[in-house]
Amino acid sequence: MREKSGKRGGFRTAAFLLSAVLGACPAIAQEMTTSFVDIHQGSPLSDRARALAQGGYELQNGSWVSFDQWYRANWIDMHVDLLTQITDDTGILWGFGTGEEGEKYRIQPSFKFGFLTQTHPSANSILSFSLTSTIGGGLAEKPCQADYGDFGTYAVNCRLAAGELSPEQTLKYLVNVRPESMHLWLNYRVTF
Amino acid sequence: MKGNCWKFGLAAAMAILSAPFASAQQAPDADELAALCHGAQSICISATIPTIGTQALQSWMSPDVGAAWAKGYKGKGATITMVDDFSSATRFYGNFGIGLQYQRHGEWTREEASMIAPSAYIRSKDFTTGSAVSLAYGLNVLNLSYGMYASQGYSVSQIGWAPEESSIISYASRGLAVVSKAAGNDSVAVGGAAGGKQDYLDLALIGKPSAIFVGALSSNGTTSNPAQLAWYSNYAGSDPRVQSHFLVVGVAGDTTGLYGTSFAAPIISGYAAIIGSKFTSATPIQITNDLLNTARTDTLVNYSPSVYGKGEASLSRALAPVSIR
Repeated sequence: MREKSGKRGGFRTAAFLLSAVLGACPAIAQEMTTSFVDIHQGSPLSDRARALAQGGYELQNGSWVSFDQWYRANWIDMHVDLLTQITDDTGILWGFGTGEEGEKYRIQPSFKFGFLTQTHPSANSILSFSLTSTIGGGLAEKPCQADYGDFGTYAVNCRLAAGELSPEQTLKYLVNVRPESMHLWLNYRVTF
Repeated sequence: MKGNCWKFGLAAAMAILSAPFASAQQAPDADELAALCHGAQSICISATIPTIGTQALQSWMSPDVGAAWAKGYKGKGATITMVDDFSSATRFYGNFGIGLQYQRHGEWTREEASMIAPSAYIRSKDFTTGSAVSLAYGLNVLNLSYGMYASQGYSVSQIGWAPEESSIISYASRGLAVVSKAAGNDSVAVGGAAGGKQDYLDLALIGKPSAIFVGALSSNGTTSNPAQLAWYSNYAGSDPRVQSHFLVVGVAGDTTGLYGTSFAAPIISGYAAIIGSKFTSATPIQITNDLLNTARTDTLVNYSPSVYGKGEASLSRALAPVSIR
C-alpha cells in the first residue's frame, strides 16, 4: 500500500542530488511521491541487546543480580523505511531508526539512505537493484562500577563482574558493534 | 632450655593429614586413620613426578570450580607451593576422575591443586628436607597437608622449628603468602590433643593473618542438600581466632578414594590461586579475607562457628562483587 507523504517537497532537493550523482535521467518526474516501504520495531542489534539480558550472578552476600534490569528498554528501536520515487524506474530509499536505550547499553538513532532502480530486460521481466547505507545505529554497552570490598572498586563489564577475568580485563568484552553499514539488493522477476 | 627445645624439635614428627585407601568403596576405620596421621614418616628418596595437565571438571569438585573456569582464568600468575611428601616409599591408590593411580601423598595433593587451578604454577617442596620454603614472584600460596605432632603440653615458643616451618610461620605472620593448612583428622578442635599429641604447626599458625585452617565436609554442600563435617575432620573449636580463619570444603572420598583434610587444603589453595588470577594486585591477606568473608553457612547442616568456622568456601562468591551498579 502506498500513501503520500506530507513532506514531499522537503525531499525534493535530496532526490535531485542523488539522481545527479547516479547519472539518472535529468528529466526528473514532476510528481515525486514518497511511500512507506517498511515500518518495524527491533533489529539484529536490538536482539543482541535482548540476549545480553540473559543470566545473572550472586553477589558476595548471596543476593541475586539479574542482567535483565540493565538490558531492558522501554522503547524498542523502531525503523521506518521510505521510498521517494524520482522517475518511473528510480527512487531514493531512505529511513531512520529511533534507537533504544537501557540502563547499561544504548543503540544510537540511525539514518538510512540509498537508491532503488529497475530495468525491464523484457516485457515480462524486471531487474531491480538497490543500495543503501546506514549511518549511526551502533550498539554500545556501558560499564558498571563494582565494589570488591578490600580489593577496591573498579569499572567492569556488568555481565562479567563475578567471573574470573580481572576487572580491567572484563572491559575488553563490552559489546560495541555497528549495524550493517551497506546493504545491496538485487532482484530479477519474471512474470508468466 | 634451648637444648631441650632443639631435642623437642627433632622429636616433632611430620604427619600427613590424609586417610588414603586402596578402594573408593572401602570405608575408613577411625583407628586406622588415627594411626596413619600420627606416624612419623621420614624416609626419603628423590623423586620427580610430572604434574597432570587434565582440566576437566570432576564430580568431586564443587560446581563453583566449573563456573570459575568458564571464562578461562584458572589461577594464572599464582604459585602454589606444595610442602609435602614427594620422596617416601609410601604410596596409595586413588582416583581423581582420571583413572586409578598409585602415588605418594604429595603427588596426590599436588595433582588435586593443579586440577583446581590448572593455570597456576605448582611447586613441590619435599617436607623432609627441612630447608626454608622460598617464595616465588607474584602471589604465593603454601599448601600444608601435614602436621607437626609431638606430645601435648608444650607451648609453641618451646618448639625448635626447622627452617622450613619457621619460614612458613613467618610468611603467615607477615602476610606474605596464603597458607592453607589442613585442619587435621583427629576429630578434635584445631590444635587440640588426640592420643596425647598435638599438631604444633596448627598451634603456631593460630592468629596469623594469612593462614587458613581447612576442614573437610563429607560432600560439597548445597542449600537443598547441605553437607556436614566429615567424621574424621578436626573442627574450629571455641577459639575465635581459629573460628575466624577456619573454612570447610567437600572431600568426596567415596568418589576418589582419598579421605582426609589433606585433600581439603589443596582445594583452598587452588581457590586462592584463582582469586589471585582475577585480582592480580591483591595481597595474600586480602585473598585470605576474601575467602573467609564469603564462605557460606546455608549449605551446612546445623551451622555453628565452633564446628565449621566461617563456613563452606565459595569460589563464586569470593570472585563476586560486594555490590554493583
